[in-house]
Amino acid sequence: MSKNENTITTEESTDADPKTTDEKLISTEVTTGTETGRTAAGGRTIIEARNVDVYYDDLRALDDVSLQIPEGQVTAMIGPSGCGKSTFLRCINRMNDLVDAARVEGDLLLKNKNVYDDDVDPVALRRRVGMVFQEPNPFPKSIYDNVAYGRRIQGLDGDMDEAVEQALRRAALWDEVKDQLDKSGLDLSGGQQQRLCIARAIAVDPEVVLMDEPASALDPIATSKIEDLIDELAEEYTVVIVTHNMQQAARISDKTAVFLTGGELIEFGDTEKIFENPEHQRVEDYITGKFG
Amino acid sequence: MATETDPQTGPGDATGETRTPFGEVSRLSGIVFEYLTLAASMFGILSLGILLSYVFWDAFGLETADPVWYAVLVGTVGLPLVGQALYARRNPVAGEVALELGSTLLGGVLAGLALVVVLEVIAGSEVWFAYFLTTVLPLGSLYVYGQRNEATWVGLAALGVLIVGPAIGTAALDPLTTVAGLFGGPGIYLLSMVLPAALLCRYLVGEFLELGNGDYAAGATLALAVVGIPVVDTVGVARSVWLLFLVALVMPFGIVVAKTLAVPERRVGFVAPAVIIVGIGLLAVLPETVGVAGPSPWFDWQYVTSNPSRFADQAGLYPAIIGSVFMIVAVAILTLIVGVGTAVYLEEYAPSSGIAASVVRLIRINISNLAGVPSVVYGLLGLAVFANTLRLGFGTVVTAAFTLSLLILPIVIISSREAIRSVPDSLRDASYGMGATRWQTVRNVVMPRAIPGILTGTILALGRAIGETAPLIMIGVATSIYSTPSGLFDKISAMPMQIFVWASFPGEEFQYGVLAAGVVTLLVVLLTMNSIAILLRNKFERSEI
Repeated sequence: MSKNENTITTEESTDADPKTTDEKLISTEVTTGTETGRTAAGGRTIIEARNVDVYYDDLRALDDVSLQIPEGQVTAMIGPSGCGKSTFLRCINRMNDLVDAARVEGDLLLKNKNVYDDDVDPVALRRRVGMVFQEPNPFPKSIYDNVAYGRRIQGLDGDMDEAVEQALRRAALWDEVKDQLDKSGLDLSGGQQQRLCIARAIAVDPEVVLMDEPASALDPIATSKIEDLIDELAEEYTVVIVTHNMQQAARISDKTAVFLTGGELIEFGDTEKIFENPEHQRVEDYITGKFG
Repeated sequence: MATETDPQTGPGDATGETRTPFGEVSRLSGIVFEYLTLAASMFGILSLGILLSYVFWDAFGLETADPVWYAVLVGTVGLPLVGQALYARRNPVAGEVALELGSTLLGGVLAGLALVVVLEVIAGSEVWFAYFLTTVLPLGSLYVYGQRNEATWVGLAALGVLIVGPAIGTAALDPLTTVAGLFGGPGIYLLSMVLPAALLCRYLVGEFLELGNGDYAAGATLALAVVGIPVVDTVGVARSVWLLFLVALVMPFGIVVAKTLAVPERRVGFVAPAVIIVGIGLLAVLPETVGVAGPSPWFDWQYVTSNPSRFADQAGLYPAIIGSVFMIVAVAILTLIVGVGTAVYLEEYAPSSGIAASVVRLIRINISNLAGVPSVVYGLLGLAVFANTLRLGFGTVVTAAFTLSLLILPIVIISSREAIRSVPDSLRDASYGMGATRWQTVRNVVMPRAIPGILTGTILALGRAIGETAPLIMIGVATSIYSTPSGLFDKISAMPMQIFVWASFPGEEFQYGVLAAGVVTLLVVLLTMNSIAILLRNKFERSEI
């Protein structure tokens, strides 16, 4: 908890000149996250994968993936369906443990601690690494209870009303729902539901927020709201996002990892470079739409 | 597709084939199928309806009633009911209020009867006191505490109390019942029922519904309890019965009435129930004063409160009703714990790969197969295992409860599994993703959504159990018994057994009258159980929003 707060303060102090949302909306050219001024913060590595292989029974889903995800930035994973990018995301918070057939080999380090060590409790890990899923999946409970869920199960002390309001504000949902916190989370629109899920994930102050195609089930307007939100979240959290939408990856991310079929990580680097001058021909073909 | 309209050649080209663009497509087979399915369902409904009308005709002795009586029936009850139904279509609020009042009244009467049967007839107030002190009171306090404070240990503590409480209660039954004897029955109920009910009333009136001053409501409940005692003494009703009915019927009804009175536009809803109650009263009084013969029902108060008899006029179903209800309560507790537990394990905890998974799969398949085993085989099992080997006794409550539980467990497990599986995985993912443990996920996410389905399946299975005869014959349940059971090891009879034996009695009165009344009683108990299940299900479905 205290460690996390430290992270947040360093983030804020180093974030010298973030562009405002309005400016971004006006600019018509593709702005990458790198241009929004977060690069200064992206120093330390928070997540490091070393030769990670994942098997579902005998099927190889990830093939020798190594990469370093910087702290306080947005890292995007792109690639065609079935390329293993969601699998990699689910390795980070060990959601793959819930699938009995899944087997992970190699080292995956969060803050220099291998999360697959025997002394790591996956439940405790998931309390530090939040996750937002593809389909908005609020619980069939009130908006308030949805946001409070994580704090309740983790037994966090403190003012619950305050924490719920904070989380909803940070998820840019407070103004829309502040008068109807008792209403079911399912009564919200798809985009609002997804922002509710984001509020639920950040209500417990995780260190990393994983997002598995968070906007793929939403319309363009809701998608743009989510993207703005991700941009703001990156001020406080490390965000790792899987997306099918390459423009989205280009818009919001600082780093991009390109997975291609067979679970191979083909290229990983600054988003700008990946989209403008990729090293591999296959990556260029994929990004320009020649394949995939 | 040679007939597809080709844009280059157009319709009616060289082949001479033309396609009528908007002609009719044959739906003959579809229409035939539709009417076949309609006929099938009508056949089922009609044959059941005709059979039931026969039974009701016999059970209520409707053939003896004078035509004038039917006219009075239509005039005093039928027309007001129709009028109410028509009015409710125009003013849904009135219908809603009438339904609420009616169901509270009916539910209160049933709940009161159930309390009297369980606490007064079967257990006795002293035994209730022992378990109240060791289990109900701690559980209730934990629940209230859990509602007011955010504390995760409350759930675990409740589980502990649920296991330890009854054990202590059983172990310390003798000293506790001696203490309870000092209070006497009414004193016990005043402490353990009326007082908590008054507190609940205070919360409901004062905080939850915000109807008025909760203290006054609680005071009124207590005052009513005390004032009512001399009244019921003069009428000749036992004090304990009055207190139980106060809690089950008078207090809830009073709250519903107060709630209705608080909203002016809902007050109109009082009219219809009042008219119908007056109508029923008139129906009871009018024909006699005019001198018209009413029906002479077999199914009446005497019938449900008397022992069996060889004289049809005096025959009753009382011990069998108590026996069946006692048995089904035990079965319900057993199957809910074991069945839901099994289903939760199989769906949420069981491994899904490796050798263990094969074992689990084998278990799953066999549970499905067990659902199809004939009930008489379960009877044989009960006879061999529970009655003979474990020496639980022939035809006792516990033997019958175990045997019937085994019979319906597969059904309960299968339907509970379906209910649990219908909870979307995305919700589980969300919960695990938040760092919830498996137990927290099951408790907070899976169970709340699965409970309505679990309840539906369990109640349907219990309905099957209460009508089951063959396994009861196998384990030696008596056909007629003349005393009510007061403990788990007492011999019982059950309604279907009594009905079964009456069918073989000589004399039309038994075969057509007493038997039919027995069937009606069984159906009434079944329908009551089903309506309780529906109410519970609706409550849970609403509470999860």
